Amino acid sequence: MGNSTEVAGLFDGYARDGFFDEFFDDHGEVRPHYAPLMARLVGFTSDDLSRRGRLRDAAFRSQGITFTVYDEGEGIERTFPMDLLPRIVPADEWSHIEAGLVQRVTALNAFLDDLYVGERAVIHDGIVPPWLIESSDGFCREAFGIPMPLGARCLVSGVDLVRDGEGTYRVLEDNLRNPSGISYVIENRVAMTRVLPTVFADQQVRSVDHYGRSLLNALARVAPQASGDRPTVVVLTPGVFNAAYFEHVFLASQMGVELVEGRDLVVDDHVVSMRTTRGLQRVDVIYRRIDDDFLDPVVFRPDSSLGVPGLMAAARAGNVTIANAVGNGVADDKAVYAYVPDVIRYYLGEEPILPNVETYLLWDEDQRAEALDRLDELVVKPVAEAGGYGIVIGPSATDAELDQCRRQVEADPRGYIAQEVVALSRHPSLVEDHLEGRHVDLRPFILSGEHVEVIPGGLTRVAMRKGSLVVNSSQGGGSKDTWVLTAEPLADELDDLGPEMEA
Amino acid sequence: MLARDAESLFWTGRYLERAESTARLLDVTYHSLLETTPSEEAQAWQGVLSAVRLDRRFAETKRPLSAGAVSEFLVLDPDNAGSILSSVDQARENARTVREQLSTELWESLNSFGLQLRARNLRADLEFQPHELYGLVRRQCQTVAGVAAETMARDEGWRFFTLGWNLERAEMACRLLSVRYRQLSPSAFHEWMGTLRSASALEAYRRTYRASMDPVDVVEFLLLSRTFPRSVLFSLRTAQNQLDRLAEEGETSRPRRQLGRVCASLEYADVRELMVGDLGAELFAVEEGIRQVALSVATQYFSNSHEFDLHSLQLMPGDRG
Repeated sequence: MGNSTEVAGLFDGYARDGFFDEFFDDHGEVRPHYAPLMARLVGFTSDDLSRRGRLRDAAFRSQGITFTVYDEGEGIERTFPMDLLPRIVPADEWSHIEAGLVQRVTALNAFLDDLYVGERAVIHDGIVPPWLIESSDGFCREAFGIPMPLGARCLVSGVDLVRDGEGTYRVLEDNLRNPSGISYVIENRVAMTRVLPTVFADQQVRSVDHYGRSLLNALARVAPQASGDRPTVVVLTPGVFNAAYFEHVFLASQMGVELVEGRDLVVDDHVVSMRTTRGLQRVDVIYRRIDDDFLDPVVFRPDSSLGVPGLMAAARAGNVTIANAVGNGVADDKAVYAYVPDVIRYYLGEEPILPNVETYLLWDEDQRAEALDRLDELVVKPVAEAGGYGIVIGPSATDAELDQCRRQVEADPRGYIAQEVVALSRHPSLVEDHLEGRHVDLRPFILSGEHVEVIPGGLTRVAMRKGSLVVNSSQGGGSKDTWVLTAEPLADELDDLGPEMEA
Repeated sequence: MLARDAESLFWTGRYLERAESTARLLDVTYHSLLETTPSEEAQAWQGVLSAVRLDRRFAETKRPLSAGAVSEFLVLDPDNAGSILSSVDQARENARTVREQLSTELWESLNSFGLQLRARNLRADLEFQPHELYGLVRRQCQTVAGVAAETMARDEGWRFFTLGWNLERAEMACRLLSVRYRQLSPSAFHEWMGTLRSASALEAYRRTYRASMDPVDVVEFLLLSRTFPRSVLFSLRTAQNQLDRLAEEGETSRPRRQLGRVCASLEYADVRELMVGDLGAELFAVEEGIRQVALSVATQYFSNSHEFDLHSLQLMPGDRG
């Protein structure tokens, strides 16, 4: 494990505990794509690292890169802790992930377009049962007939991937509504290049800072035809008290567009405008970061003051495009998720490249019986929740919790699914003055427009508590800068490395 | 730009200037009072409270008219929306809602100022090193202003930010003058000097008027100087400049007309005449004029109402509260 005492010190007592480790292979050897990083770690003492950690914290705080946690009614600004050790994905692994994500999102776009503006062929052909769709919380009749140019309903998706004990990447959730986290991807990279510039030196890491341009392009491409060459795009935020407000600001400024709140917009004669210092100005595309339910008090929750009265009618009239499309939640329903592999086969005629996590549908009598039998070995999740809420992890649950879970499932079998426990892969993370293995997942971001584009890398979330499998930021998770390496080192670098490699 | 964003920038500027002026005023008052009698002291603190128009609010708190109580009220009282701490918080909150309009450096300098202030033990500062605290506030406000000047494009956002900043500065300067003018006798050399110092104007004043400390000269300088950036006229002209550029070609907006009138009355004023007549009334008129301008700016640019606006008509179901 390297012959430097410093590195040995950092890794003192490091144990893989039988999990798939991103950094070390089964024999405890550093994986080849981590070798240059390991070489750079030589010469870093734990003091060096903690000094850089303080540097990072100060930078994040003064830039206000924070999310808000509500505790006893008082909002507290927290920074999202970034671990100093980056996660590295080699080029071949990434091209597999990328192909799988493009395939999956392409199929999901086709599926949602079919449901909301198509013939619902997927139902008629018996791929997905109609009652399952209709009983889904995320299914939204108000979205029928609302056009989405290019069928890019999942304009931004943030698919959660996990690696199991064999290192196979599996899809855990698709997150087709309002996935957040891209701002951390970009800010983490900026912070890493400032705090630990030297570790980038030996490797070609693919950049992520073109996201704003890519997003704006995708949004402009889905503008209503009548809006011409330079459509007016805005980001719609619930406001400064929203936990992800920093990200909304970030996206608006990366794209150079206005960040609006519901009260800044008015709808008149099915046309959406924003109030400016010079009167009303027409809006063509709204990248909304408000949930469906709050978008339009005329159609959805009448008590919502975050939305814009008349917005849905304007969208239906084709005068404004709302992205992501309304009603995507149906595909985020965890019981519908179980059908995504079939959906891919149905629309694309291809085998899914990235498998799901093994899922049991609890409304099916046989599957339910089997699952309830093995409840202490499985994870049970409510179908409509995101962010890790309401999950019961069998192996770590008490008997009382399992009993309660069983009763809930029996009372509402459609409302839950069960999954095999995935032994999430682990990655060395800095814990005080040394490194310990912590479970990680990966949320790449995918843009649909003219093409489906995957931003290299994504947000690696880390379960900072020892042994914990829950990586959500709302549940005390941290993050890592995630590097995707280019396929080939640049030619001149090959030359530089040449003699050394021979030696 | 969005009407709401314009308003937030305007108030960011105003609150920062309020924090800075308050710090300057407190600093000078505190240090000029170190060798005075208690009755003089009470009178001076009363003057400070009037200058920031918080005399009535302070009286309601039933606190004694002492250096400690007034400073605490004006520096760190969270219930006093005009305290330095509240002003900086509000500047920061306003800036937060328009972050996408600000340069990263500008937001960082404002944000870290806010955090720095929150992290300090302000009570201990007031007790042991008030000068250091006031210096910090002044320097940080100047840093924000400098970073803004160096990094913000001269677009609408900049204009509203500068407009708010300068209207507040002119208003504060006006009030300071009327309080001082009422309180001070012409021979109160040190106090007039302190007044200049609170505006960082002492050196500039001396270069113009030499070492004389004639109240007529001091008032003329702080009210009418065309070269000193904290004088009332200079601030108003800066504000006027912003309004001119905000107005569309050939348009004479209401705030522009109003501010033009205020400026004209100062541009052609003669201080000696004013001092013989009723300077207090004149200053009050200017202050009132500035307030009207701010109101018209809000009507013209910030409240873009619309006849079919369900938000303001409260026609939404369930919106009966």
